[in-house]
Amino acid sequence: MAFLLRNISRSASGREIIRESRVDEDLLRIGRDPNSDIRLNDLAVALHHATFELVGGDLLGVSAEMGLTIEIDGSAVGFGRIHLPSGGDVRVGPFLLRILPKAAGSADVAIDIERAEDDAVLEKVDLRRFQLSSVMPGKRPMAWISVLLILGIFMAWPIWSFYQGRTESARYAQGYHPDRMWNAGPLSRSHASLEHNCQACHVQPFVPVRDQDCKACHTAIHDHADPRRLAAATPGLSGFRRLRMQFGAMFGQTPGRCVECHREHEGAQDMPPTPQQFCADCHTDLRSRLPDTRLAAASDFANGHPEFRPLVLVNWSGEQPQMQRLALGANAREMSNLKFPHALHLDPRGGAAQMGRTLRSRYGFGDSLQCSNCHIPTPDGTRFQPIDMETDCGMCHSLAFDQLGGTIRTLRHGAPAQVVGDILSLYRAGGPQRPAELSAGARARPGDVSQIRAAVQFAAARNNLGMRADQAVRSVFSQGGACFDCHEVTPAAPGRLNYGIRPVAFPTRYMLHGWFDHRQHLVVQRPGQPRLEGNEACASCHGARTSNSSADLLLPDLNSCRACHGGEHTNRPVASTCAMCHDYHATAGAPAMLLRQQARGRRWESTVIRVNDPQAAAPQRQ
Amino acid sequence: MASRGIERTNLAGDGSSHEGFLRHKSYRWLKIASLLCLAAIVAYMLIDVEPRPNGGSWYGYTLGTIGALLILWLTLLGLRKRAMTRKKWSLKGWTSAHVYLGLSLIVIATLHTGFQLGWNVHTLAYVLMMLVIASGIYGVSAYAFLPQALSDNRGEMTGAQMVDAIASIDKQIQISAQPLSDEDSAVVIGSLGEDPFGGGVYRRLTGGALKGGNAAALAYVRARLGEVGGGEAAIALDQVAVLLQRKAGALNRIRRHVRYRALLEIWLYVHVPLTFATIAALAAHILSVFFYW
Repeated sequence: MAFLLRNISRSASGREIIRESRVDEDLLRIGRDPNSDIRLNDLAVALHHATFELVGGDLLGVSAEMGLTIEIDGSAVGFGRIHLPSGGDVRVGPFLLRILPKAAGSADVAIDIERAEDDAVLEKVDLRRFQLSSVMPGKRPMAWISVLLILGIFMAWPIWSFYQGRTESARYAQGYHPDRMWNAGPLSRSHASLEHNCQACHVQPFVPVRDQDCKACHTAIHDHADPRRLAAATPGLSGFRRLRMQFGAMFGQTPGRCVECHREHEGAQDMPPTPQQFCADCHTDLRSRLPDTRLAAASDFANGHPEFRPLVLVNWSGEQPQMQRLALGANAREMSNLKFPHALHLDPRGGAAQMGRTLRSRYGFGDSLQCSNCHIPTPDGTRFQPIDMETDCGMCHSLAFDQLGGTIRTLRHGAPAQVVGDILSLYRAGGPQRPAELSAGARARPGDVSQIRAAVQFAAARNNLGMRADQAVRSVFSQGGACFDCHEVTPAAPGRLNYGIRPVAFPTRYMLHGWFDHRQHLVVQRPGQPRLEGNEACASCHGARTSNSSADLLLPDLNSCRACHGGEHTNRPVASTCAMCHDYHATAGAPAMLLRQQARGRRWESTVIRVNDPQAAAPQRQ
Repeated sequence: MASRGIERTNLAGDGSSHEGFLRHKSYRWLKIASLLCLAAIVAYMLIDVEPRPNGGSWYGYTLGTIGALLILWLTLLGLRKRAMTRKKWSLKGWTSAHVYLGLSLIVIATLHTGFQLGWNVHTLAYVLMMLVIASGIYGVSAYAFLPQALSDNRGEMTGAQMVDAIASIDKQIQISAQPLSDEDSAVVIGSLGEDPFGGGVYRRLTGGALKGGNAAALAYVRARLGEVGGGEAAIALDQVAVLLQRKAGALNRIRRHVRYRALLEIWLYVHVPLTFATIAALAAHILSVFFYW
């Protein structure tokens, strides 16, 4: 038995080179070792890789060394047999050992040895592997994927949720909805609760936010003025601005919408105070564009503001009071139908102060009368309640005219016919009793002039000096009488006693379009002057101490306010924009700017209680 | 500033000496873009938008429109570059305008935002656009500096020659390593099997070698040399070590080449897909603004 080996290699031109050798043994050692029977010079082959051994006549045993494998007819094994008459392929590393079928009768086993991988080694290298594209996904698929992802997540999904939200609004307002990704910026603080409810304002797609959607919540907002007059009053727009407005109008952005001023998505901030210029743009020379306006020009509180024109009662002799807006000054007189000299009452050395001192223990008066003794603030402290005769004047001014036992009879205030009746009945009762005031009793009230006078008249009547009851009535309603001293008396018809009293007005608010808060002015300190409180603070604005007539309109004028208040940019202590006293949306209450400041806790005193009753400003009948 | 590679691109018959796309026509587009930015900035400072600058004011809409049109025009370079022409609207001029007008978008888009950014689709569009611009800036500077390094590295060799060099060293290693023991040869096989292009994007960008392979084989053979001392084995090992060393040089050359190419090409994989992502986000941005007007 022998092995016939044919070593096949190829020249560079591809020609086969065959070297034949013969091994006369039953055992073939295969490996890289130069002493092997079949030497396979490749590093993939072990020094001693496998052994071929003839087993019997027709079988070739093939065994790999420990831990190595060989490939017999395509399957990797450690050991196998080849049926020699049919032949077989053994692969060791890159080499193919082809055992040729043994011819019958032949004693030799022929084996062709060929390097199988030669072709693969010569294969051309793919130069595209130098490029980055060999390891990157294509640009085009990446572009497509990102486009589809972005359009899907940021466009289609929110639009879908918008239409979903219209049908299921409750769920929409609570849960997550992807149109939040469209939110251009935080809402202002006051609208923070709407942050995640886009559809509260954005109701129609591609339609700018409409006023009606604002007014769904803001029900009490007034227009500043009639929109047409407002448009007419707006100063001449530049051509560019007009172009912009026309352009906006093409897309439904009509001028004057709420959102034109109240812009949103500008950050979680407070609404800024209205700048003065916003008002001054129109009001500096309003009349030039709106000739019939009754509003005077205003541009800056310190440098361009008309004198106050309070609403004043100029006459109330008929059924209806006549109110008129008057500019403050010498001609501004108020016909309140009450005779009340403030100077007399506030004079610290006068009779009123003297009486106050004697009544100190009962009413807590000081050395002289204080404004606050009669003027009681409204609960919010903004202004003052109307004077009430019984509680305010009645502390000193008694209407007693008779005493029955321990009971003092008083004339009924506010009912002149009743007064006449009461006096007449006193005479008819068969002569008056001696009034307590004339006795030595302790009830006598100092300064009770009318009472004393009544007593004297009573005594005269009693002494049959010709004074009759009618005359007593007349004297009460005439100069020197109890009613006449304070009231405007309408004379009685000749021979009759139908005296009347003109109604008395106590306006609580003179300036209906401007705001003034007394509570903010309880302490007054004008520049370079001492800090004032109480009476002094009142008197620093209201000239009550020198007023001898109730017809004096004791309102401070513009210059008085200007001592402290200037315009938006001023050296005076209080920079005051228009919005401090006037509200753009024209409500009767406090200007929105002050309310907002209050809500944000920036004021040192409260004006939070709004005076909603427009009647509060109207004259009150006493 | 223009790179060697770009300077070589001399279109014959131009009649004038070559100038790169950056300094095309004495920086014409740099001047135009600077003027555009300056005008936008001055207007931004002069125009008093109440209550604060934002994209929804008339000036914001203006800047937004300019920006959107610019983005679309810049994208058209992808189409334009496929048709190389000269004269007035040459591709070079177009590229120059692309670079400088693209840079001016930084100013225009930032002013358009009014510096109001947030987690929303609007800022997404802005950020994507800025990434595109940043990758573009990288690309221009890569084109300026890397071709020189690439050229120096290849040393007049072609890619195929570099690969062939490896193959021929491999053959020599095959032969020289025949006397090695099974254990030693197993490690040397690791060198033969090393793929010079192996690894992913990161390995290409950093130029790192794979673990094992030639470097490991070289280290191993050197260590073995110390152990063996002398004799035939030492001679064989020494031969193999020299060859492995040579192979390491050849491998490094290829790896550096691959790295420079990766650095030169990577930006387009950001620039192009993100450009389309930007356009998609821009579409979502514009639609959302008017949907919720």
